[in-house]
Amino acid sequence: MNQVSTISPNDILTTAEQWRWQIGHTFHEQLMETIYTEAAEIADAAVTRPDSRPRFDLDRTIDRLVTSRLWGFPMMVLLFTLVFWITIAGANIPSGWLSQLLIDTAHPWLKSGAAAIGMPWWLSGLLLDGMYLATAWVVSVMLPPMAIFFPLFTLLEDFGYLPRVAFNLDNVFRKAGAHGKQALSMMMGFGCNAAGVVATRVIDSPRERLIAIITNNFALCNGRWPTQILIATLFIGGLVPAYLAGLVSALAVVGIAMLGVLFTFGVSWALSRTMLQGEVSTFSLELPPYRPPRILQTIYTSLIDRTIYVLWRAVVFALPAGAVIWLVANIQVGGSSVAEYLINVLNPIGVLVGLNGVILLAYVVAIPANEIVIPTVLMLTVLVTGAHHVGAGAGVMFEMQSEAGMITLFQNGGWTLLTAVNLMLFSLLHNPCSTTIYTIYKETGSAKWTAVAALLPVVIGFVVTFVVAQVWRLVAG
Amino acid sequence: MPDPGMSLLIFAVIAGICAWLFWPQGGQFWRWQQMRRLTTRVQHEDALKHIYRHQQHHRFATVSSLAGALQLNADAVTALLGDMVSHQLVTMDGDALRLTPRGQSYALHIIRAHRLYERYLAEETGFAESEWHGRAEQQEHYLSPEEADALALQLGNPTHDPHGDPIPTTSGALTPHGGVPLTALDTEMPACIVHLEDEPETVYAQLVAEDIHPGMEVRLLESTPQRVRFWCDGDEHLLAPVVAANISVRPLTQPSALDGVAGERLSSLQPGESGVVLGLTPACRGSERRRFMDLGILPGASIHAEMRSPGGDPTAYRIRDTLIALRREQADRIRIARAAPGSLDNRTELSSEQMGEMYEPAL
Repeated sequence: MNQVSTISPNDILTTAEQWRWQIGHTFHEQLMETIYTEAAEIADAAVTRPDSRPRFDLDRTIDRLVTSRLWGFPMMVLLFTLVFWITIAGANIPSGWLSQLLIDTAHPWLKSGAAAIGMPWWLSGLLLDGMYLATAWVVSVMLPPMAIFFPLFTLLEDFGYLPRVAFNLDNVFRKAGAHGKQALSMMMGFGCNAAGVVATRVIDSPRERLIAIITNNFALCNGRWPTQILIATLFIGGLVPAYLAGLVSALAVVGIAMLGVLFTFGVSWALSRTMLQGEVSTFSLELPPYRPPRILQTIYTSLIDRTIYVLWRAVVFALPAGAVIWLVANIQVGGSSVAEYLINVLNPIGVLVGLNGVILLAYVVAIPANEIVIPTVLMLTVLVTGAHHVGAGAGVMFEMQSEAGMITLFQNGGWTLLTAVNLMLFSLLHNPCSTTIYTIYKETGSAKWTAVAALLPVVIGFVVTFVVAQVWRLVAG
Repeated sequence: MPDPGMSLLIFAVIAGICAWLFWPQGGQFWRWQQMRRLTTRVQHEDALKHIYRHQQHHRFATVSSLAGALQLNADAVTALLGDMVSHQLVTMDGDALRLTPRGQSYALHIIRAHRLYERYLAEETGFAESEWHGRAEQQEHYLSPEEADALALQLGNPTHDPHGDPIPTTSGALTPHGGVPLTALDTEMPACIVHLEDEPETVYAQLVAEDIHPGMEVRLLESTPQRVRFWCDGDEHLLAPVVAANISVRPLTQPSALDGVAGERLSSLQPGESGVVLGLTPACRGSERRRFMDLGILPGASIHAEMRSPGGDPTAYRIRDTLIALRREQADRIRIARAAPGSLDNRTELSSEQMGEMYEPAL
């Protein structure tokens, strides 16, 4: 008893301290290792496995085929080309229906309805020409491709093929300091950047995940394909004989998309060596067994989780954008509209980088959705050039069916081939849409990385278009 | 419209200035920031560390040794020391400099902050190993004792930094690693690396390049004034004596089961070959180590190389019935014993006793 009472708490602490030094610094790890090993031994003792493997292992056979040196890459290219072709070809028809229904039919009907109940022109303009039309536009352009692309992609994922793509491509991404799974988020980004940013969740290494998030915007998204295709058809296709026009303009669009991939690698490389070098990097890639895809379930979940989710966010952001577009075109200050003032302010900067004030203003008001850039550009060009015989009035976005009519309108607006090329470049290299920015903030939880992801592409965009414009003018004289 | 040639020129000049200012590592802006950090307080703290280190080796720091360490001229050092004496940090006894108790505890705080921060960099960031020391040299001046305590708590009160140096406790207690230089070891005597000296930087970089880390087992094979040849963790290494002297080791009473085993790394397995995991190398730390353990890459687990990516890297390994792809540099951090070719059940000749011995803590 005597002995016990002489030990004070301090003595215990001192003894514990001494023992800590003696145990050595690998103590925690050894403890952890033994716990894991114990667990594995218990499992091994309790779980029995069939002695021999089946002679024909289907998984291994598929794996050998899809990761073979000879067939691995061609199969990948073929499969993704097919997915994109189905998406683009298949989306045209429902997109046309939707636009027929929501824009050509419902919009005039709503307008006449509003007039019938005596709604003031400014209210029906703001609500119907602004907010309704912007939202209808986003839905009709965005919904069909996403409703096709996401389920197809999810089916490949569900089957187990996508991890093999990451496995095949990892070496290329490793050289850029990134993770092979970035191939998947990039691919998803071609559908929608917001969905691509969400898809980076599969990357478990913090540094590589941030790289994938920040560079996802360089994947040309679904909302930007129509802009690229339209401008390439009008301006690039017009340079060559008619029978080559389709091919050349398609090549131009693919070239822009490939340029985006190059930027993905370049920016990934630079980021991993500068801003992100202190983030933790751990690579591991699980290759799950193949399993037959559950088609109906996959279609259902990908529609609910990805398509509806992204669409809802886009709609939420498109409503105020539509209002702003209508207001800038209709609020008159001292004889001309706010839009005209803004275009005059932005025009010198626009001309310096080979664009113009109309395009820059369109990109500012269309931050919520890339889909409405072209309709906004058309509406603003009409407003500026005063070509009132086309279009549907100030602040009302529209699209034109006739290519010749559009090219005349653009030429009246002062467009040249340089404007077209730089618009294609700027469409690739500008800030992500607000849906994507919001998603990046949700995913990273950091204002700093959100700002980097939003500003880096737009800075690169201005530098690239500026240099192209100056060199072009030097060469063309 | 401005002249395009002129605009390009102006742009090139602006881009050049930005690169000159902000280029990673070499940029003038970063240098200027670093210069600003060299305040009197930082100089005081660096001087305290220098004197403390000399006292540890039972020598006295002098004005000239301090001048050399801080890269200042003698006048500046004398002024600095006068200031430190008036703050009761140092006493001057002729030429010899001595720390007062106050100076001693201040020096220990700086060392604690430095080693804790190195540990933090090793465990929780992705900076390269060669950068740890330099970054900790800067950060040590900015951690208050409270912040150092919070960092220690976050890291689970570690006892050693990643080089094997003990981290002083808040009370200043410190048990030296007690190792002897590798060069002083008897040949064929099994020993365990307890410490790597991280200064000078070039010598340390060489050790990092050789993949030598505290916690590895060594056996000296040959030591001549020209070269030191030793066995370490499954490989034979050859170093200049001046480099090898920076490795401190503690003799082991008995060699462990792995002594002399030609330890192979997982990366040496070709697709179709199998092995048994012996363990993770000490170079594998922090979240990567935890991740590997989560995946079941633990001593005794059998592992089979299934296929290699058409790009040449990574390789997919089957472990515990799961296919996991690992890159070459990661597979380099997993030690294995190769299974005899043709053995279908993927087991090696390593007996269970030998496996058991491997878990004995290497004290």
